[in-house]
Order: sequence, then C-alpha cells, then structure tokens
Amino acid sequence: MGGSEERVVVAVIMVGGPTKGTRFRPLSLNTPKPLFPLAGQPMVNHPISACKRIPNLAQIYLIGFYEEREFALFVSSISNELRVPVRYLKEDKPHGSAGGLYNFRDQIMEESPSHIFLLNCDVCCSFPLADLLEAHMSYRGMGTILVIKVSPESANQFGELVADPVTNELLHYTEKPETFVSDRINCGVYIFTPDIFTAIQGVSSQRKDRATLRRVSSFEALQPANRSLPSDFVRLDQDILSPLAGKKQFYVYETTDYWEQIKTPGMSLKCSGLYLAQFRRTSPDLLASGDGTKNAAISGNVYIHPSAKVHPTAKIGPNASISANARIGAGVRLVNCIILDDVEVKENAVVIHAIVGWKSSIGRWSRVQASGDHNTKLGVTILGESVTVEDEVVVINSIVLPNKTMNVSVQEEIIL
Amino acid sequence: MKALILVGGFGTRLRPLTLSVPKPLVDFANKPMILHQIEALKAIGVTEVVLAINYQPEVMLNFLKDFEAKLEIKITCSQETEPLGTAGPLALARDKLIDESGEPFFVLNSDVISEYPLKEMIEFHKSHGGEASIMVTKVDEPSKYGVVVTEESTGKVERFVEKPKLFVGNKINAGIYLLNPSVLDRIQLRPTSIEKEIFPKIAAEGKLYAMVLPGFWMDIGQPKDYITGLRLYLDSLRKKASPKLATGTHIIGNVLVDESAKIGEGCLIGPDVAIGPGCVVESGVRLSCCTVMRGVRIKKHACISSSIIGWHSTVGQWARVENMTILGEDVHVCDEIYSNGGVVLPHKEIKSSILKPEIVM
Repeated sequence: MGGSEERVVVAVIMVGGPTKGTRFRPLSLNTPKPLFPLAGQPMVNHPISACKRIPNLAQIYLIGFYEEREFALFVSSISNELRVPVRYLKEDKPHGSAGGLYNFRDQIMEESPSHIFLLNCDVCCSFPLADLLEAHMSYRGMGTILVIKVSPESANQFGELVADPVTNELLHYTEKPETFVSDRINCGVYIFTPDIFTAIQGVSSQRKDRATLRRVSSFEALQPANRSLPSDFVRLDQDILSPLAGKKQFYVYETTDYWEQIKTPGMSLKCSGLYLAQFRRTSPDLLASGDGTKNAAISGNVYIHPSAKVHPTAKIGPNASISANARIGAGVRLVNCIILDDVEVKENAVVIHAIVGWKSSIGRWSRVQASGDHNTKLGVTILGESVTVEDEVVVINSIVLPNKTMNVSVQEEIIL
Repeated sequence: MKALILVGGFGTRLRPLTLSVPKPLVDFANKPMILHQIEALKAIGVTEVVLAINYQPEVMLNFLKDFEAKLEIKITCSQETEPLGTAGPLALARDKLIDESGEPFFVLNSDVISEYPLKEMIEFHKSHGGEASIMVTKVDEPSKYGVVVTEESTGKVERFVEKPKLFVGNKINAGIYLLNPSVLDRIQLRPTSIEKEIFPKIAAEGKLYAMVLPGFWMDIGQPKDYITGLRLYLDSLRKKASPKLATGTHIIGNVLVDESAKIGEGCLIGPDVAIGPGCVVESGVRLSCCTVMRGVRIKKHACISSSIIGWHSTVGQWARVENMTILGEDVHVCDEIYSNGGVVLPHKEIKSSILKPEIVM
C-alpha cells in the first residue's frame, strides 16, 4: 500500500427528473430536460465533456429520477462516443441534493476516488474542473465551491457566499436571502473529498436524534421552515454548507467565465448561444460556415447537424442551431433560434428568437418570432413537438404545446 | 355484432387532463369515457369492439386488457399510421368489422356522451331497410355543426349542410351510426370524411335514414362541455331513478359518489358533482358543478364550483376554486388560495392565487 499510488477521481452529475423542473415545459413534455440539445449536443453532454478533461477521471455517475430505460440508450451511446464511462443511478425517492449523493456512496466510492466532483446538469458554464481540482488541493478542505460574481440585484435568486479574500475559506452561506448578503453566488459545481459523506451522515443522525427529543408547538409545526424532513433528506446548501461555513471546511474558487442556469426554454436558447460562442473559441470546426453561394449564408455562430438540409438561398444566424434531418427551405431567415430534429421550415419563412420543436412544420412566408427576452415567460416563442404553423401565419411571443396546428395568427398566448 | 369507436388523436382540447392519459381514458362520471360506450355496446349484444386510434396505443391496450376480461367483450385496436379522417378508419378496420353474418355494425364517436338507445336504433334500421342509419340530435345553435335535413315522416335524409348561414334545420349529426357492411365498399383507404363524402352519396341514393336521439347528447371533448355533459348525464340518472345517485342531508341535486370515497362532516355537495374512487372530502367542504377525480383530497372548508380536479390532486384548506378551473394530475393548491379559471398542468404546486383565467405550466 504505497502512498505514491495515483488515486482516481469521479464525477457525479445531478440530472433531476420528469416531475421536477416543470419550468422547462413544454419542451420537457416529450423529452427529458438533460437530453435537450444546446449548441447541437444534449444538455448533459456539456458537463460530461468537461469531466472528460479531468486527469485520472475513472467514472461519471448521472443521478436522477428518470426511468432507467429513458436514459439507458443515451448513456451507452455517450459512453461510446466520448469514450468515457458513464453510469445512470436512479433515485427511488427524493433525498435532497446531498442525500442523493450519500444514497449512492457505495457505488461512488467503488474505486476509492480521492476526489468527487458534483455538478448540476442544468448549469451552463465553462466547467473549469481541472482548475477547481488544483485550487481544492491547495486549500486542503472538505470541499471547494465554484462561485461567480453577479449583479447585486440578481444575487438573491441564488445561494450567496461570503469568502475570506486571502484564504478563500467559505465564511458564510445563505440560500436566496431577502436582503443583500453578497454578490458572489454558488454555481452548482463542487469538488469534495470523501469526508463529505461523513458530514452528510452527521446531519442525518443529528436530525434523527432531534426528532425523537424535540416537541414542536402546533403553531411552529405549521411554519414551512420547521416542517420536519425525513432524516435521510439532506440538502447540500442549507444542511451542509451553511452550518459548516466558517469552520475551515469549505473553500471557494471564483470563475470569471460565463455562467447561467438553464431553468426555462428561454434560458436554454440563451445558453445554446453561449455554448456556440464557446465552440467558436475552442472547436470552431464544429460551427457552420457559408457565404450564400454554394452553401447558405452564415452569420455569427451557427451549428448545423450534418444530416440537415439547408437551401443555399437561406440566411442562418447569428446564434442558430439546426438539429438532425431538419429541412430549411429557400429564402428562409433564422436568427437566434433552435430548430430541433425533423423540422421542416418552408420557403421564405422567418424564425427569430424561437425554439421549434421536433417534427414541426413552419409554413411558407410564416413568421415565428418573439421579443428575445430570455427571462420572461413569453419572451422566446416555443413550439412543442409536431406543431404545424400554416402558410403566412404569424406566431409572436407565444408558447404552443405539442401536436397543435396554428391556422390563425396569435400574439402573447399559450396554446394548450 | 361488431362496433367501431372512432378514438382519433391527441385530445388537445382536453388538456391538461390529456397530458396524463389518452382522451378515451379520461374519467367521466367516475368511469373512463370510453367505458360508457363499450358498456352500452355490450348491453345490446355487441361481441367485438374495434378502437380506431392513432395515439398512444400501448397505454390504450394495457387498459383494455383489464376491461376485456371484466366485461367479457373482445376489444381490439386498429391503428392509423397517418390520419385517415372520419371514414378512412372504417376501411382500415374492414376485416374486423365484416363477417359471414352480414350484420350491420355500429360506429361511435368517442367524444360523445348520450343515452345510447342502440336497441331502438337497430329496430329503426330494420324497419326502413336502408343502407345506413344515423342518430341526429336537436341543438340550439345548429350553425356551429353540420345540419342534417330529413323528411319528417320517414326520417330519410335529404341532405347535409355544413355550418349553414341560414336556418335549414336544427338537427345535427350525433356521431352514432349503424351501417350495413356494403357501406365499407364505398370507402377507400385514404383520408376521407364520412359527413362530407360518404353520407351525402348514400343520402343521394335515398338509402340513408336519421333517427332523432331521445335523451341528452353532448360532445365532451372540451372542459366547458364536459361540465355541461356531467349535468345532463346525472339528470338522466335521476330520470331513471338510478340508485347510483347519492342521498343524504349533505347532498343537493344530482351527485355521484364512488363507494370508496369519504365525505366529512358539515359538507354541502351538489348539484351536478361526481366524486371518484379513493377521494377524501374533509369536513366543511362545499362542492358544486364539479368533477373530482380518483385519489383527490379536498381539505377542510374548501369551496369548489364549475371546475375539474385531476387525479391525485389536493385542494388546500379554505381554498376557493371556481370558474372553469382545470387541475391536471397531481396538482396541489395550497391553503387559502383562490383560483379563478386557472388551468394547471400536472405536477404543480399553486402557492399564490390566480385572479383571472390563466394557464399555469
């Protein structure tokens, strides 16, 4: 048993489940959110590719609530394609963000990893995992949290952290506070040493003991904060990071790259654009090019799947993503949009600030557009699976659920 | 005898309920919609029912296995790979509908709720000796539909008029047909409309007859009509003095309560309410003109009217839910919340009031 033997590293990606994240509807009605494509690749591919760049990475675990068969095909194909071992572990019931990790500790610790990365699938960022690992090894704590600076006004949507400017120790952590605490927020990307499991177990046992001792008054019992949680339900933020802040256990590492949460379809369009910009920097050959002579005119960052057919008189981009088997007709204009698999966009149609769902059909001279405000509910027009927009119809700032036919123009509407 | 039920497509008008189950399996008066039709067919001796579907066949087939056994009737599916309209599916199911007996077969539309006087329809069909019989029903606003103009005394159909601009008659196609096998020879396997292409031809040959549907009729394919349909259906139960209707000091008007449902003290239920299996209605609750589906819990002092509460949802204490609120499966309305016409997709929690009709995704 030599101390010089190289230990491996594993990564855990939390992927959520079908009844979670209802904000991603209607796109999540037919497809699990982690498989929704951003810049031409399923959402979960992006953190998986980032994990692949970590030295000594032994295994990636996806933890979630989706039925195994939904993920089985995907997991085996991504394993083959990226040549990285990926396993899906299905949670039988909610355990909280830390409890989920603890629930699968035996599998995660199978190869005695020295470090465990924890990532959330619905985070869009550059995943500087090697830098995070290096920083963590210099701090020598139980865990290091990736943080980013945001505007003070938006900080309260997230977990706010206060860190020591010299040692980078986590001094204070609070989740979605009402008053301003800090403009540094939790990115949802962490690295831990295996003692994290001991800390989680500590919370579980403490809660179990307290439950038997404490008698709560009936008024207190009504307050949501005091609603007793089962002992195996442990939240990373409130139950681990907050209490252990200031005890030289956790540290922070700040990134200055882009960071967004992918909670809504509108944000997925924005994040697709961020990843397209990342490809421009790191793998520009993935992006399309063309000047309108032999191929369609391309402006800005555009992804076109090799099986998609785009007429040379179409103009595509900036920030457009076209998926497999899509057909883009003559004279079509696409700006800031995601065109999903098997979509047909007929001649002279215009799509701006929209997501067009799988197998949909966009009629000739029709117009599908929105204001482009990724943060408002109707700021990006979303067409679900198999939606037909008839010729010359205009759909603005609207959401259309799957299998509908739009034969009259609409604005600011949700079509069930 | 055989029958075909046109089940059709995605049921988008009944969303959010149809986001959880295909439309024929949405409960109406505590029973899946399509079961009302299958039971009526079984009662007059139909031995085989073919469902013409084009969506989620696996879900339908699983469900049907249960009912095939319980009802002792053969149920098969005929799946369209492309939409075939209202007549095409008959051609697709041809082999299942015709046998050596040469008997006529029924065709029903799955969205329709009515008394299903199928025995009377068989007699009507025999007496006129024509090729096809259809049920027609009287409506207040015939221009919304296709009007059937008939000869008063015999019921022979003279012509069909689609959405007439001037009044030509007040009887519309009720979506219940009894057809001789020879009708199938007129239908090609392609998208075809039975009202626009097939029936007008048969009428022109003087071989199509219409019978006025006695009793109620409703197309319950959308929430507003679903609620009206429940009122009509419960009213027809009352006319038959059905023992299924609930009684008690806490019941007003026509109310259906599944035997496994529990109702607390001090409630006032009705009129026109259906409470499904396993529901728990706590004390002090007021329910009127609403459907409460399987496994729902209505907490104390809540008040619900003119709404549909989807499977396994909960409505909080002192909540007020009204004006065509439709809750999908597993929706939880918190205590003291007001919903005025909220349409809520499955697996949501409503923590703040919905003051005017709105879709919550």
